[in-house]
Formats: sequence, structure tokens, C-alpha cells
Amino acid sequence: MKHSVNRPPTPDAADDRGKEPTLQEIINIKLIESGEKERLMELLRERLMECGWKDEMKALCRAYIKKKGRNNVTVDDLVHLITPKGRASIPDSVKAELLQRIRSFLVSATL
Amino acid sequence: MCARNSLYTNIKPCKHLADYKLRCGFNGYNSLQNCLKTTPNGRSRVDKHDTTIPRCSFCNGYQGRLYICLMCSSISCSSHILLHTQSENGHEVALDIDRSELYCCLCCDQVYDPDFDKVVVSKQVRDLPGGKSNGFEVCSGRSSKRRRIDSGIELDLKKSKQLISMRDRRAKSCYPLGLRGLNNLGSTCFMNSVLQALLHAPPLRNYFLSDRHNRDQCRKRSGEKLCLLCDIDAISSAMFSGDRTPYSPAQFLFSWWQHSSNLASYEEQDAHEFFISVLDGIHEKESKVRNSSKDDGDCQCIAHRAFSGLLRSDVTCITCGFTSTTYDPCIDISLDWEANNFSSSNVANKPIKTDEKMGLSTLSGCLNLFTRAERLGSDQKLYCQNCQELRDSSKQLSIRRLPLVLCLHIKRFEHSLVRKMSRKIDQYLQFPFSLDMTPYLSSSIVRSRFGNRLFAFEYDNSDSSAEYEIFAMIAHSGMLESGHYVTYLRLKNQWYKCDDAWISEVDEGTVRASQCYMLFYVQKMLYYKSNEDLSCMRISPRRDPCVSTAGCC
Repeated sequence: MKHSVNRPPTPDAADDRGKEPTLQEIINIKLIESGEKERLMELLRERLMECGWKDEMKALCRAYIKKKGRNNVTVDDLVHLITPKGRASIPDSVKAELLQRIRSFLVSATL
Repeated sequence: MCARNSLYTNIKPCKHLADYKLRCGFNGYNSLQNCLKTTPNGRSRVDKHDTTIPRCSFCNGYQGRLYICLMCSSISCSSHILLHTQSENGHEVALDIDRSELYCCLCCDQVYDPDFDKVVVSKQVRDLPGGKSNGFEVCSGRSSKRRRIDSGIELDLKKSKQLISMRDRRAKSCYPLGLRGLNNLGSTCFMNSVLQALLHAPPLRNYFLSDRHNRDQCRKRSGEKLCLLCDIDAISSAMFSGDRTPYSPAQFLFSWWQHSSNLASYEEQDAHEFFISVLDGIHEKESKVRNSSKDDGDCQCIAHRAFSGLLRSDVTCITCGFTSTTYDPCIDISLDWEANNFSSSNVANKPIKTDEKMGLSTLSGCLNLFTRAERLGSDQKLYCQNCQELRDSSKQLSIRRLPLVLCLHIKRFEHSLVRKMSRKIDQYLQFPFSLDMTPYLSSSIVRSRFGNRLFAFEYDNSDSSAEYEIFAMIAHSGMLESGHYVTYLRLKNQWYKCDDAWISEVDEGTVRASQCYMLFYVQKMLYYKSNEDLSCMRISPRRDPCVSTAGCC
């Protein structure tokens, strides 16, 4: 089975149901429920498009498809191809902006 | 019935998807339709109205890509989706929850089904506020006003062939007909360069060669001494007369000074500004003659018939997604400079100097920038009819109708009011000789708002009138205040440089290496047609012109 680069380190599903949700999970749930996650995703998409990151990833995918042939490539291949490079090439300014937004959300959520 | 563009509906389903459809038809799609939720920007996701967030049934993970099985609605993540297929027979097709896109678990790949996309898009349209009038023209049986190529050339081509049938014996060079230098009358290279481009634009060239604007009739009709069209007609006759000695367009310059008195001087002017003012002058005269005040979209003057297109502007409210659409005619497109300043050296936190621009700027980059959805600043809130208040909005331009001749103006001159200075962007811009404008059409832009869908829109221009060939390029060299304009013309796939009075043959490399300022493209069919006409002219021994018939050459 392929290792998904997104796979979180998780124990068995059976054990997990009894455990307390981690802090990460709680934050994530709060973000989704309030709709903030959707807004953050939109903001992220916009920023990544503006700085050319999206075009860069598109170019990578195109080059790969050209090399392998259009019928020999699956979406999973492309995801595995660009995930490490994509994560590494996100500009610091974008990271900083999103962190700032999440922080201010957390502050307002606990009030 | 919508006209379907085959490009978007001819994707074959994989075996597993085809099996699924045979077994279940549209039941799965329709029941999922109720679970689809649309966000204001057009993304569609599956939302089952549960209070809990979706989690993989194998690992309880909630991150990454999650898929919902079309048969049993169980949710798996991308690592475990294969397990689900293996454990249940017949559960091969799933749906990506965040993106509403079909996924075949056995092929491990995304699959496409136009029927499914129709279900998704109709839900999206239903959800958007304003319903059908929301910037999205659903198939309503309205006949699309497609600009047909013929409409620009109901011109009598027979006449033009007779006019140029006698090859001029005086011409010593083997240059094609119509190439002639224009003398510089005192910093008038801006005028010469635009005239060269205009006179070789196929619709205009044919117009003048077919004597559609007869100077004698014009004088009798209007009684005015000044007519820009008459003067251009005179230049056109001079260009195609066969005489290769450089011509001085003094009469035209004088007429133009009268028309645009604010630009009348011996100073260097901007070629683009001149271009607009000439077209304006042509239009003015025409509308005076015909006494019509038709708007630019329907005007039949030669300037508009050749250059007029229609731009679509969509303003979308960020909060609710309501889109209001307006259409504006245009005679050219001015493109902002696309600064491609992202390159792989941005990776790993390497510092970049702020004035260093890496990467290649291309015409398609500029066109992408032109049609990109732009978030308007918070100081530019617009009134949203649906929310009934001022809201943050995003604006997106696209081309509703392409002109016969497409003039692209590259904004190389930056004037900053703040810093009270102007500068020229000297960088090289890469541009193609064959240009496909399909991605910038309204149909493509609007379609892309619905994601990766195979869905045909009512006004798909399925006739290939989005393909263009370049025939002229005006290049600028030098500085902002004191530069020089030169036109490169492409006749029968050979490039010629028109530098005021000097015409020379040049190779493609020279053209590509120049700093393009204005690019002139003509619809592909017109380009090949016009090249055919001239080259098929033969003079038989009896001196009768051999009129070409289709397919004779």
C-alpha cells in the first residue's frame, strides 16, 4: 500500500474512539464549525495564486505528464509528486499571514 | 439543446465507472446532489449536515483527501480507500468530499462524467443567489450572436483581385505587393509604425483595395475637405501601387492633426494613443455620414468591424456569491505587465532582492493576469444587490466576443503620479506567432468557476474563431521620452522590418528578440485566406489574370 504523505501518525481506529481528542483536533473542529477554515482556505488559495505558486505546481505537473505520457499518470501520482515540493516552497509571508489569522481566531474563540 | 463542444464531452469513462452507471444510473448522483453545498466562490463540497466532521472509517483520520463511496456512503481517506473497495464488492466509484470530483478506486485516478458534472453545476447554479440571472446564461435557446468571419468580408474580393492582377514591372525587388517605406516627417515613427500595421490588417487592406471608400464619392457626399479615411485610402493606393520609393504621408498627418489637435506637434507621441485616435477618427466620420449613433458593438464602420470586440466584467460579492455582469465593447486590449517573480530560488527562505525579477514574462502570463479574478481592496467595496449593502468584491474580466483583428497593447510605460516619474519596462516579453484565445473567452472563464467540470455553456464558440495568427508587431526601442518605433510585418510567413523608409527582410529570431509594444493578431482563417489571394496571382501569356479557385494552388 502506498504511503500517503498526508497520513497522520494514528493508532488503530478502535483504540482511538475512546481517547480524548487532541488539541489539534479540537482546534480543527472549531475552525470547521465556525466556517473559519473555509475562509482561511480561500485566503490561502488566493495568496498562492498571486505569488505564482499555483503556476509553478502546474508547470511541475505538466512536465511530469509530458515525461510519463498522459495516459500513464494518475491524480495520486501528481499529488505525491508535488506535495513535498509544494510544502517546501510556500513563501514565508503566506505562512506568517495564515498563522496570524489562526491566532486571532483562537483568541476570539476563547473569549 | 445546448451546442456541445466535443472537447469537453468526449472523455471516455473508465470501465468501472461505466459499470457503475449501468448498474445504478443516476440514482447515486441525484441523492448526492442534495448533500452538495456550494460556497460563494463556486466550490462544491459534500456536506451531510452531520454535526461531526467527516472521518475515515478505517483510521479515524480527518486530514487530507477524504472520499465518500457512492454505493454505501462510507468515508475513507486516500490511504484506505483501496481497502474499502477490496472489502466490499462493487464499491468502486467514490467522490472527493472537498471537491465533488469522481474518483475510481480501482484505477486510483480521477474520472470524469459529463452527466455527473451536469448534476453538480445545476445545483451550484440553483444555490447561487439571483438564480438564473446570476451572471450565468443557462441554455435558454437564445441564439448566440456569434460574430461570423464572413460578416467582416462581404467585401468584393473579386474586385481586389482585378486591381492587383497586373504585376508592376517597375518593381525591382521580389518583395510582396504592398510593402513600401514611409518617410519620417519629424518624429513621426509612431505614425508610420501604426500605419504599416493598419494597412496590412487583412480586413482593412481588403477594404481599401476593393475601393470601398471612394475618394470622389466621399468628397461629393460630405462636402468636407477633411476625411481620415480618404487619406488612408490614398496611402493604401500608394503602398500597393508597386512603386517602392518611400512615401510621405503628409496629407494624412495634416488631417490627423486637425482631428486630434491636442496631439498636434512635432514631439514623439505614443503609438497606442495614435492608434486609438485614428480608429476614433474613422468611426466619427462614418457615424456622421450614416447619421447613426449606434453603439460600438453594432457599428459597421471598418474600424469597428475589424477591431471591435466585447469584454465581459463580472463583479462577485465575496460574502454571498451574487455576481453582476456587464458587457463593454473594446477595440483593443491593454495588458499590464506580468512580473513573473516567482522562481525556485524562493524556496528554503533564500532572500531575494526586491527589484530582481526572475523568470520569463510571457504574453500568456499577461493575458492570464488580465483575466484573473482580482480581489478589490476594502476601500473599494461595492454594493451587492443580494446583501443590500456594501461588500468586499472580486472582479474578473473575460472576452465575450473576439474581434477579427486583435490588437494587444503591452503597457510598458509606467506613470507614477505618486513619485511623479515615468519609466519604461525594458524587459523582454515572449509572445507566440500562433495564439489561441480560448482560455480567455468568457465561456472558458465562467466554466472554470465551477471547477473542473465537463459542462457545455450556451455560447460555446465551437467554430474555431479563437485561433489567431500574428501579422504585425510594433516594437519600441530606447527610452521613454526619446525612443523609436519599428513595425515588423509578417507576409506569407516571411518577416519584414519597416523602419520608417527602410524595408528589409528579417528572420524570426530578430522579431522575437525585439521589445514588442503592440501585437496585431488576425483570425487564422483570414490570415491564410489573405496570403492565398496574393500568392495565387498568375499572369497568363494572354495577360488575363488567372483567378484562383478554391484548392487550385
